[in-house]
Amino acid sequence: MSDPTLAALMLWAIVVGLDLASVLQGLLNRPLVAGAVAGVILGDPGAGLRIGAALELFALDVLPVGASRYPDYGAATVAAVVMAAHEPWVTALGPAVLLGVMLAQIGSGSIVVHRRVTAWALRRTAAALDRGEPGVATRVHVAGIIADLLRSGALAALGIGLATWLARVPWLDLATARALTIVAVAGGFVAAIGGALRRAGTARRIAWFAGGMALGVLGLALR
Amino acid sequence: MIGRARALLRLVALQASWTYERMQGIGIAVAMEPLLEPLTPYPERARAARGRSAQYFNAHPFLAGAAVGALARAELDEEPGERILRLRTALSGPLGALGDQLFWAGIVPATMGLALIAVTLGGGLGAVALCVLGYNLLRVLVTWWGLRVGLAHGLRVAHAISESWLPKAAPRAGDVAAVLVGAAVPLLAAWLLRGTGQPLRASVLVVAGAALLGALTIRRPLSAPALTIGAAVLTLLWRWSAA
Repeated sequence: MSDPTLAALMLWAIVVGLDLASVLQGLLNRPLVAGAVAGVILGDPGAGLRIGAALELFALDVLPVGASRYPDYGAATVAAVVMAAHEPWVTALGPAVLLGVMLAQIGSGSIVVHRRVTAWALRRTAAALDRGEPGVATRVHVAGIIADLLRSGALAALGIGLATWLARVPWLDLATARALTIVAVAGGFVAAIGGALRRAGTARRIAWFAGGMALGVLGLALR
Repeated sequence: MIGRARALLRLVALQASWTYERMQGIGIAVAMEPLLEPLTPYPERARAARGRSAQYFNAHPFLAGAAVGALARAELDEEPGERILRLRTALSGPLGALGDQLFWAGIVPATMGLALIAVTLGGGLGAVALCVLGYNLLRVLVTWWGLRVGLAHGLRVAHAISESWLPKAAPRAGDVAAVLVGAAVPLLAAWLLRGTGQPLRASVLVVAGAALLGALTIRRPLSAPALTIGAAVLTLLWRWSAA
C-alpha cells in the first residue's frame, strides 16, 4: 500500500470516527458507506461494498439511544476492507468481517474512554460553567472534539495496522476461509433480523417486516 | 438570521462533549451562544443565561434544535430562571423519544435498507451516495425546523411540537424501515453468498436459521457479535483438528 493511499485511509477512518457521535452523525460511520469509500481509495470498490454490506447487517442491530454503549463500526469497516481488498471475496469476506466485528467492540470501549476524558475536563471547569463565565463551554466542547479525533486516529491506526499484517499472513486454507464467510454472513443476518424484530415491538410492525421479506423473495424470483 | 445559522452549525456537533454527568448540556450551551448575543449589553442576565444553558440536558441530537430555540427565546423574553430550568427538564424526554422513534428506529434503518437493496440490484456507489445525501438533507431540515419552532414558541414549544407533523410521522417511519430492511434481507443473502458453491440453498438456510434465532431471542436479546465470534472460533477449531 502506497503512502498516499495509507494517508487517505487514515483520514477517512478518522472522519467516520468523528461522524459516529461527535460531528454530523450523517451516516458516514455506517459500514456500507465507510466500506464503499474505503474500497474506492484502495481501488477495489466491489470489496468495499461487499464488506460494508455484510458489516451493515451487524450495525442494523444497534440503537444508539440515550447513554447506551454501542460499537464503532466506522474505522473497523475501513480496516476490514484493507484486509479483503484485491483478494477473492468468497474467502476474504469471512475473516475480514470477523476482524471488523472485533474492532467495532474495541471501538465501543474507546467511546467510554472518550466520555470519561470529557467528564474530567468538565469537572475541572464545572464551577466556572455554573457561574456563566464566557468561553468556558466552548473550550470544553472543543476539547471533546479533539479527544474524539485522537480516539478515532488511534482506532484507525490499530485497525489498519492489524488488517495489513493479517492480510500478509497466509494462515487459512480455502475451505476454512469459505466456512468463516458463511459463519460471518449468518451472524450478520441473526443481528439484522433479531434487531428488526425487537425494534418492531408490535405484531403489526412484524407483519410489515414479513411483508418486506416476501417482497424481497419475489424480487429474487423475478430476477 | 446569522445567529440562527451559527446555532444550526453548532448543533451539527452537539454531542462532541457528551458526558454521563450533563449529557448534551455543554453542547446545548455552545449551540445557544449565538442566539443569546442580544443579551451582551446586559452582562448579569447574559451570565445567568450562560450558567443555566450548560446544565444537564439529553434529547435526540437532531431534535435538540427545538430545545435550543425555545430556551433561547425564554431567556430573551426574561422568563424566570426556574421556569427555564423546568422547561429544559420537561423537553428532554419527549424530544428524545420522538427523535429516537423517527430517526434511530425509522429513517436510519429505512435509508440503509434502501441503500442495501439498491446495491444488490446493481446501483453501486451512486446509490449509496444518493441515500447519504438525501438523509443529510432531511436531517439538517428537521434540525432547522426544530430551531425555528423553538424560537417562535418559547415556553409553549411542547404544545407546538405535539400539534405538528412529528408525532404522526415518527411511527410511520418505523413501518417504512420494517418493510425496507425486510426486503433487503433475502436480496442481500443471495448477493453475499453468490459464489460459495450453492447460493440459493445456502441463502435459504442462512436466512431461515437467522430468522428463527432472531425470533427466539426477541425477549432475551442475543449478542450477535459474540455469537458470531464464538461460532468462528468453533469453526477454526473444527477445521484445524481435521487437518
